[in-house]
Amino acid sequence: MIFETRGSGQHRPGASSPGGSLNRRSLLQGAGALGAAGSLAALSGCAGAAARPVDELAFWHLLSGPDGVTMGEMLDGYMATEGAASVQQTVLAWGAPYYTKLAMASAGGRAPDLAVMHAARVPGYAPGGLLDEWDLDLFAEFGVHQEDFPELIWDKMVVDGALTAIALDSHPFVLYYNTEIAEAAGVLGSDGLLMPTDTPEDFRALALELGANAPSGYGLSFGYLGDGSNQWRMFSTYYAQLGGTIELPVGEKMVYQEELVVEAAEWILSLIDGEVGNPGHDGGTAISEFATGGSGAFYGGVWESGNYRNQGVPFDMTMIPGVFGEPVAYADSHSFVLPHQSSPDPERRRGVHAAVAYLLQNSIQWAAAGHIPAYSPVLEDPAYGELVPQSHYADAVDHLIYDPPAWFSGSGSDFHTYFGNDMQNVWARRVDPLEGWNAFVERINALLLKTPPM
Amino acid sequence: MTTADGLVAPPGVTEKADTLSAGRVRRRRAENLRGWLYCTPFLAAFGLFLIWPTVYGLWMSFTGTSLAGTNTQFVGLANWREALGDPQVWSSLGNTAWFTLLSTIPLVAIAMLLAVLVNLGLPGQWFWRLSFFMPFLLASTVVSQFWNWMYNPQLGLINTFLGWFGIAGPAWLQDPNTAMIAVVITTVWWTIGFNFLLYLAALQNIPDQLYEAASLDGAGGWRKFLSITLPQLAPTTVLVLVLQLLASLKVFDQIYQMTAGGPGGTTRPVLLYIYEVGFTGYRLGYASAISYIFFFLIIIVSIAYMVISSRRSVKA
Repeated sequence: MIFETRGSGQHRPGASSPGGSLNRRSLLQGAGALGAAGSLAALSGCAGAAARPVDELAFWHLLSGPDGVTMGEMLDGYMATEGAASVQQTVLAWGAPYYTKLAMASAGGRAPDLAVMHAARVPGYAPGGLLDEWDLDLFAEFGVHQEDFPELIWDKMVVDGALTAIALDSHPFVLYYNTEIAEAAGVLGSDGLLMPTDTPEDFRALALELGANAPSGYGLSFGYLGDGSNQWRMFSTYYAQLGGTIELPVGEKMVYQEELVVEAAEWILSLIDGEVGNPGHDGGTAISEFATGGSGAFYGGVWESGNYRNQGVPFDMTMIPGVFGEPVAYADSHSFVLPHQSSPDPERRRGVHAAVAYLLQNSIQWAAAGHIPAYSPVLEDPAYGELVPQSHYADAVDHLIYDPPAWFSGSGSDFHTYFGNDMQNVWARRVDPLEGWNAFVERINALLLKTPPM
Repeated sequence: MTTADGLVAPPGVTEKADTLSAGRVRRRRAENLRGWLYCTPFLAAFGLFLIWPTVYGLWMSFTGTSLAGTNTQFVGLANWREALGDPQVWSSLGNTAWFTLLSTIPLVAIAMLLAVLVNLGLPGQWFWRLSFFMPFLLASTVVSQFWNWMYNPQLGLINTFLGWFGIAGPAWLQDPNTAMIAVVITTVWWTIGFNFLLYLAALQNIPDQLYEAASLDGAGGWRKFLSITLPQLAPTTVLVLVLQLLASLKVFDQIYQMTAGGPGGTTRPVLLYIYEVGFTGYRLGYASAISYIFFFLIIIVSIAYMVISSRRSVKA
């Protein structure tokens, strides 16, 4: 150690004395050496794959909280298998910070060996050459095949004919409900599950029953203030149930059905009217309202289930009832991608395929965090059917609606941010649905006119 | 004769002076060399992390460079033209100016007021100084997080407090009418300590004799404040004003964390828009053009300050 002093530490700092004491010169030398060591360490940190042993894989992801813990455990499981590579995780903040760093690392060709991306963001990354292609033959060696994925999910994994992403899960927007409140409200069926509702009127009546038995007086909790992504999830769900579609053709204008937009927005407004649901919740408040047993039900992503389990709230989950038709719900998928490397090592790539195959085949563990496994053998495994409440919304895999593909859409994207920017005023009843929507469309149209930067 | 220092050597010591002069030149050269050597790390960092990115950024503003490193072709003034016609650029510049105006005035006026009050000789001065300065030591993330809680429309301290008086508080950070004010309140609370400290130091430098003389002339407290304190604080006020203007123009952290520019872009400052365009929209070339427009505006503000302050010094 550079600053270690001999003896009992009686040297005065800065005093010039022999014997390796800490004086100004040695301090400067030490600082220089430390600086050099630091620079080298920093360089090795961002060094390309070539600088590391082939059995050491760099893995970047955005999974934090209970998800991050589960991923860590799954990786430990993989590393305990014979011949496994050592996987070094780097966990980065969700959303723009993560995707920015991943894009920059890939652009430099010295990216990590493996990364997690949301499937809906892959179409934005792949055409720019930021992602490398998976080798299906290599996967076959480890027991993973195309027919192991539901068609809807497989389609999201293939971009321009190339297998660019391997989905680990799908995580739809779902409805949580408090089983004690639901029971008191008499809205549980004989099977103990929330009674099905297939019209807006029925659903509203059910929500009012829940509210009448909830301490907060509210049947539904939905956090939207300042959260563009959550606003979009809710809107996308009901707009799709109404049969609405969105297309984002580059160089043209956004394609959508205006009357369905208004209908969906007005329906959402009717759910946060201060009678059925709280009219002014942000994400944290909605979560805490449901987590403390305050409200009857909660709209959210499946990833909150671990949190609620830890809180001890009695809850079950279901697909969002299809009050306008099919119970379609907004979803995205955590997917494995190969960030672009200028000169990937075949042995290392093989290791990455092996690790991903292991994670897929053991994704029952991942399902425990609430996500629906994308790998069908796990989904069809009786062990998954026994997971509660996961199995209660497993059918959602057939009713998923992903973001319309564009370089600026997908989880945590500008598309979500802009939606929140302009539609929040609608939910707060400051502007008409169409006025807010048109402002959003105007910004999206401006983006569509740009040359895609990816 | 003239030495290396430009001094004229006295007559009769020419030879000796020559020798001395040569020695001094050598010493001076060696000192200069050492000086440059010591400065080299700074100059290297300055060149590498400030000068080079500045020049490179200017070049990028004339290209279509994306964050992914693609599309680097020269596009001439296209980015600049687009930026000047982009309503988001103007609205975010407007937000920056609005934030600067709203924050600078209280951050100068209240800081001065607090400093004057503390300087009156209240008991427990250390406590007041600590209280006013302590928030400045906190990280922006911490400050943003707990003000986010305070502003929470349902559970927040502020609306709960207002509720005791039967007032239904707004959704502070989510209402376009109150979001900017909420951010300004947070900023004032967080950063006022620095200006307060500058004022306190300036107040303590005002000679007591001035106040004694004024007392002898029968001046009251208010007269002394107007005729002695305020004029004596004038140089500090100019300094605080300029530092505050520059700091407020560069606002980013707390807004990014508290409102992310929302609702509806009403709190989005130009730096946040530049960040969005460059890092979430991947258009680095375009982001550079907006940066330079903002850079030129700051230069105009700085030049205006220099002109005003040079006039002041001429008058003085």
